[in-house]
Amino acid sequence: MAADNIVIKQEVTDAMNLEERILEMCKEETKGVADVYIKQQLPHIDAQQRVKAINRLLSLGKIDLVKQGSELLYRLKDPSSISKVKGVDNQERLVYQIIEEAGNKGIWIRDIRLRSNLLLTQLNKILKTLESRNLIKAVKSVGASKRKVYMLFNLEPDRSVTGGAWYSDQDFESEFVEVLNQQCYKFLQQKADLAADSKLDPILRRNQSYGSSEDVWKFIRELGISKVELAVEDIETILNTLIYDGKVEMTVSLRAGSTSSGTPGQVKLYRAIRPLTEPAGIMRVPCGVCPVFNQCYDGGTISPSTCIYMKEWMDY
Amino acid sequence: MFATELDYRMSVCQIHLCSLLIKEHFGDIVEKVCTHLIQNGAKPLRVAAQETGLKIDQVRKALCVLVQHNIASFGLHKRGFVEYAASVEQVLLLVRYPRYIYCAKTLYGDAGELIVEEILQHGQMRMSTVVGRVTQRLSEGGQSVTNDHVKGKMEDLINTHFLQRVPAPPPDNNKAAFPELTISERDLYRVPASIEVTRGESDTSKRKRSTEDSDPQSSSKRLKIDSEEHAADEGILWHLNFDRFHKYLLDHEIVQAVSRRIDWNAAEVVRTMLRISELSKGLEDKTSHPISLNDTMRNLPKENNMKFGVVEQYFKLLSDDQTSIVTKVGETGGGSYTLDFQNACKALVVSTIESVVQERFGSKSFRIFKTLLLKKYLEQKQVEEFALIPAKEAKELLYKMFSEHFVTMQEIPRTPDHAPSRTFFLFTVDVSQVSRMLLERCYKSLANVISRRAFETKENKRLIEKSQRVEAIAASLQSHGADQSQTAEVEDMITPLEKNQLEKYRSKMSKLEQSELQVDSTIFTLGNFLRLESDS
Repeated sequence: MAADNIVIKQEVTDAMNLEERILEMCKEETKGVADVYIKQQLPHIDAQQRVKAINRLLSLGKIDLVKQGSELLYRLKDPSSISKVKGVDNQERLVYQIIEEAGNKGIWIRDIRLRSNLLLTQLNKILKTLESRNLIKAVKSVGASKRKVYMLFNLEPDRSVTGGAWYSDQDFESEFVEVLNQQCYKFLQQKADLAADSKLDPILRRNQSYGSSEDVWKFIRELGISKVELAVEDIETILNTLIYDGKVEMTVSLRAGSTSSGTPGQVKLYRAIRPLTEPAGIMRVPCGVCPVFNQCYDGGTISPSTCIYMKEWMDY
Repeated sequence: MFATELDYRMSVCQIHLCSLLIKEHFGDIVEKVCTHLIQNGAKPLRVAAQETGLKIDQVRKALCVLVQHNIASFGLHKRGFVEYAASVEQVLLLVRYPRYIYCAKTLYGDAGELIVEEILQHGQMRMSTVVGRVTQRLSEGGQSVTNDHVKGKMEDLINTHFLQRVPAPPPDNNKAAFPELTISERDLYRVPASIEVTRGESDTSKRKRSTEDSDPQSSSKRLKIDSEEHAADEGILWHLNFDRFHKYLLDHEIVQAVSRRIDWNAAEVVRTMLRISELSKGLEDKTSHPISLNDTMRNLPKENNMKFGVVEQYFKLLSDDQTSIVTKVGETGGGSYTLDFQNACKALVVSTIESVVQERFGSKSFRIFKTLLLKKYLEQKQVEEFALIPAKEAKELLYKMFSEHFVTMQEIPRTPDHAPSRTFFLFTVDVSQVSRMLLERCYKSLANVISRRAFETKENKRLIEKSQRVEAIAASLQSHGADQSQTAEVEDMITPLEKNQLEKYRSKMSKLEQSELQVDSTIFTLGNFLRLESDS
C-alpha cells in the first residue's frame, strides 16, 4: 500500500481543503476517478501535495484504490460496508475517541479499558486493527519503560512521554548533555574572563560577566551542535547542572528582559564562578582517596607502614 | 575548667593521634602518662604512677613537661587531693606549631619567627630569656640586631595578643594544697615596664629590679627556675595565645576565599574590616561589630588607592555575594556592615567538603552531592532529573556516597507499618555530620602519615646514624684545621648508593611532613565550623 511511506506532518488547512476536494470528486464519480482527472481539476496543486493528500485519504480508509483495466482509479469507500464487514465499528470508534481525547500525552491501555468497559482481549484486537490502519500508534513512555501509551498516529508525543530533548528512543543521551554542559560553561567562562580583563567599575564588571539563559541559548543554537531544536527551558536545565557542578551561580534580575520575548521583569542570569577554596588538604594524602581506609590499622593486614598507595605516592 | 570536661568529643582516632604526637615530641614516658590521663580522665599523681607502672618520679617529671606545655592542668578534687588531667585539643595543636611560627614570620619577620619558635619549644618563658636567646641566635646567623629590636618585636606580639602572660600563683599561698593560678584581665597583655634584658641565659651580671614589678610576684614561689638566676622579670612567664593565632589563620582563610570569589581588592576591603575588628572579637563571636564604610576607607592601606565610590561598590558586591560573609546592617557612616564568621566558616567547610567529594567520587557524584546540598531533601528519581544523569548511573553514585556516609537518608512512611513500598526515601546532606565524619578521617589520616614517617625512619635508622656520625667527624676535623682531602676522605665513607638512599629518605620525609600540615589545615577549617556550630 502507498500508505507505507506516508509522511506525518502537522495538518495544514490547505492540505485539508485538498483532501476534501478529492473526496468530493470521488463522491461525484461513483465509479472512481483517475489520477489524470484530479490533476486536470486541480491544476494549481503540484504533484507532491496531491500524492500526499491521496495517500492520507487512503491510509484513513476514506478512499480505495481500484484497478480497472490498465488504469488506477480512486473510489470512495462505503463506510457502512466496512462496518458491516468488521462488525465492530462502534467499539472501534469509541476507542478511537478515547485515544483522541488523550491528545499527545497518550493513554495507557488500562485506562482505555476502564473508560470503554471493553474486555482486554477485545480491546487488544481493536487496538491492533486501528494500529494496522495507521490511525493510532503505540509510543513507549520514558518514565516507565514497559508501559506503552497510545495516541493518534499523526501526533508528536509530548515531552513527558519522550523525556524531552535528552532522550532518543528511551535512551538518555548523556554524551549530548555533557557536550552541552561544557559548551555552556565555556560561553559563561569566556564572558567572565572578558569582564575580568576590562577596566570597569567592580559592579559593572560583575554585571558584564552575567549571561542570561537566552544569551546562552542563542550561542548554543549558533554553534549548531544540536540536531534537535532546543528550547530556552532545555538550556536552563543544562545551566542548572552547571550550578550543581559548582561552576556557575544564578541570580534572578528584575530588570525588563533584554529581549522582547519571555516574561517581562524576570531574567535568569548566570555567571561562571570559581570554587571558594583550594582542594582540601586531606585529599593530597593517599588516605583521602583510599578505598580501604576503614580497614587500615597499625599492625593489621592493611596498615600505614605497609601501605602500597603511600609507597607509590612517596616515590612519585 | 577542667580539661576532661571540655573534651567530650574524644574519639579512638584522636587518642591514637595524640599518643603518636606526644611520643614524637616528648618521648615514651611522657606519652605513656599523657595517654593514660587522656583515656582515663583526671588522676592524682600517685594513682597515675601506679596505673602506668612507672616510677613516681618519672610521672612527676612527665607531668611537669606536660604542664609546662599547657597540655596538662591540675585541679583540686572535691575530696581534697590534687589531680592532673590532659587536654586532647591542646595536644592536637602540636601539629600546627610550624604554622604558628610561619605566621609570626610573615607578621614580624625573622625575630618574630624565632621568638615564637623559642617559646613553643619551651612551653612558657620569661621575656628576658626569650629576648636574650633570640638576639644570640640572630647574631649567630650573621644579622646584627640589638636586644631592643627583639624586645620591641616581642612587645608587638604581646600588644597584638599573640602572646599572653601565663597565670601565676598568688604570692602567699604556700600552705595551700596546690597553687591556684590566676591572672587579672588587666595584666594578661601588659608588658611590665623597664625590663633589662640579659644577654644569653648564663649571663646574669646585669640585674635590675623593675620598678613597676617590685610587687610580691618576684619573691613568690618559682615554678621551674634555677635558683642562681634572678632576672628582673622573675615569675612573669609568657606563652602563646593559641586562640589569637587561630583567629589570624581563620581571617587569612576568609581573605583568601574572598579573593577567589571576587578579586584582590575585595579581599583587601575584607582584610581591612578584619583588622579593624581584630582585637575586639573573640574566636567564639559569630559576627563582628558593625563596621562603617568610612572607617574602612580610612584604614585601607595607603598603597592601595581605591576611590570612595569603588570601595562602596565592593561593599555592595560583598553583601550581594551568595556566601554572605559580609552583611549590611545599617546606613550609618556611609553604610555599616558586619562580617559573619559563622557564614564564612560554613562556606569554607562546604567548599572543603565539596572538594573532598569531587576528588574522592568524581565530578558526576559531585553534581549529585551539590544537588542535594542545594535542594535539601530529594527522592532518588528527582536526583536523576535535576542532575541529568541516567537513572542507573545516578543510583550507583548516590548509593556509593550513601554507604560512605556523605549522604544520609530520611524515611517518611505513608502508612504506620513502615512498609518499604509505601515509604518515601528522601536523600539529604547533613553538613555538620559530614564535617564530623571528615574530621575523624583527618585525624586518622594524620596518624597514618605520622606512623608511616616513624616507620620510614626506623627502616633507615642505620643509614641516618651513619651519616650523622660522618657529618660530626667531618665537622670536628674542619674545626681542627684539617685540609680538604682529609674531610673528603671521611665524607667518602658514605657510598653513592647510600647517598642516593638518604636523598630518597629525605624527600619522603619532607613530603610526609608537608602533607601533615595540609591535613591539619583541613582539620582547622572543619574544627572552626563545628565549634561555632556547637555554640549555636
